[in-house]
Amino acid sequence: MIFIEILIKSFWAGIAAIGFAILFNVPRRTLFPIWCIGAFGGLIKFTAMNYEIGVVFASFFAAVVVGVVAIQMAHLRDSPPLVFSIPSVIPMVPGVFAYKFMLGMIALTSIEKTDIYLQALIETVNNGAKMMFVLIALGTGVAIPMLLTRKESIKKSDFNKKKKAVV
Amino acid sequence: MKIKSEILRTKTLKEDAQGVGNILLEIGSLLMSSGANSNRIRITLERIANGLGYKTELLITHRALMLTIIEKDQEHFFSRLKRTSPHGVNFRVVSGISHLSWNVLEQNWTVLQISEEVQRLKALPHYPRLVVLGFVGLAGAAFCRLFGGGFIEMSVAFVATVAGLFVRQEAMRVKFNPYLCVYFASVAASFIAGLAELYQIGAQPDKAFATSVLFLVPGVPLINSVTDLLEGNLQNGIIRGINGLIIAFSIAMGLFSVRMILHI
Repeated sequence: MIFIEILIKSFWAGIAAIGFAILFNVPRRTLFPIWCIGAFGGLIKFTAMNYEIGVVFASFFAAVVVGVVAIQMAHLRDSPPLVFSIPSVIPMVPGVFAYKFMLGMIALTSIEKTDIYLQALIETVNNGAKMMFVLIALGTGVAIPMLLTRKESIKKSDFNKKKKAVV
Repeated sequence: MKIKSEILRTKTLKEDAQGVGNILLEIGSLLMSSGANSNRIRITLERIANGLGYKTELLITHRALMLTIIEKDQEHFFSRLKRTSPHGVNFRVVSGISHLSWNVLEQNWTVLQISEEVQRLKALPHYPRLVVLGFVGLAGAAFCRLFGGGFIEMSVAFVATVAGLFVRQEAMRVKFNPYLCVYFASVAASFIAGLAELYQIGAQPDKAFATSVLFLVPGVPLINSVTDLLEGNLQNGIIRGINGLIIAFSIAMGLFSVRMILHI
């Protein structure tokens, strides 16, 4: 039952990725791959969270997988990897944590009682830390595969030497 | 007349350092405003320059590009600064320029061909406005579903997102400050979702309220910021990150304005 829920959530994660892809005006041939990558990333994130891996590491794993698949897709569909990876990870952006963090910050400006203040402070810091680390995890997760395969794409330009490049 | 314009054209598109430098700067600024990261801009420009047989040195900043291009015999060089305009993210251009750079390397494209391709890429159409509005609205509904909303909340998020995006597009069209555009969009979207919360439409109206503004999330600046930082372009990374933070702050200010207006 829980797995059906995860599948449905992944489907909607793919839809969210498509929405952003269209907002960013990606080439039409990349739309379906973006849906697949977005849904696959969502599947990994929600499955990982189901096994009680924290939201930060779940996002990180999902982002790494998105980055790897995006590079393969880039070869198949002739577009740079970031065209696939950025719309696909945006559904994992910690919007609700960011929202709660901002609400908490505003609440902290007006609370008077110490114990309520402490409670609000704990929640706010928790939400803020989660938001920040999920963002960092998404950014590094997407970037790591690109950094690791950088050699590959430079190797492709070996025929450089035939030209009279200066130096 | 035709001959004259032909001469002018060949003059600006000569295969000398100046012509190549100008076209490289144009490509670089196009990439920067379309949402490519700094390393991609550097690699692409160097690839094109290599293909044409030149050597370049580049300084990439968020709002300006500086390029020195050196000829084969090391005798002549050309330097120019170019401001880059802040514009919307456009991955179709990023993808097209990536193709272009490989074509220069593999099929020996000339400067004239490059310039024609750049003009073609600039004129490429966006998706129709209704399609954009509809799909981004769907994305808003999808976000609501991801955070546990039901069908009523999803419809509220859909309507709010479409309205917010419409306001943003209109504000961009009359050239408001970009952060102000985000603020207006955030107010419009969260006002609609806030009305639903005020009249208790649906079981968890706060879910729709929190997810109605997620289409404004500065995903490209934040992810490019981390990529730039990791690749050692610290200055650009920090600037992009701050840009993303200001956008996030504008979204939050919009939410608070609505909460104050509606008292929820």
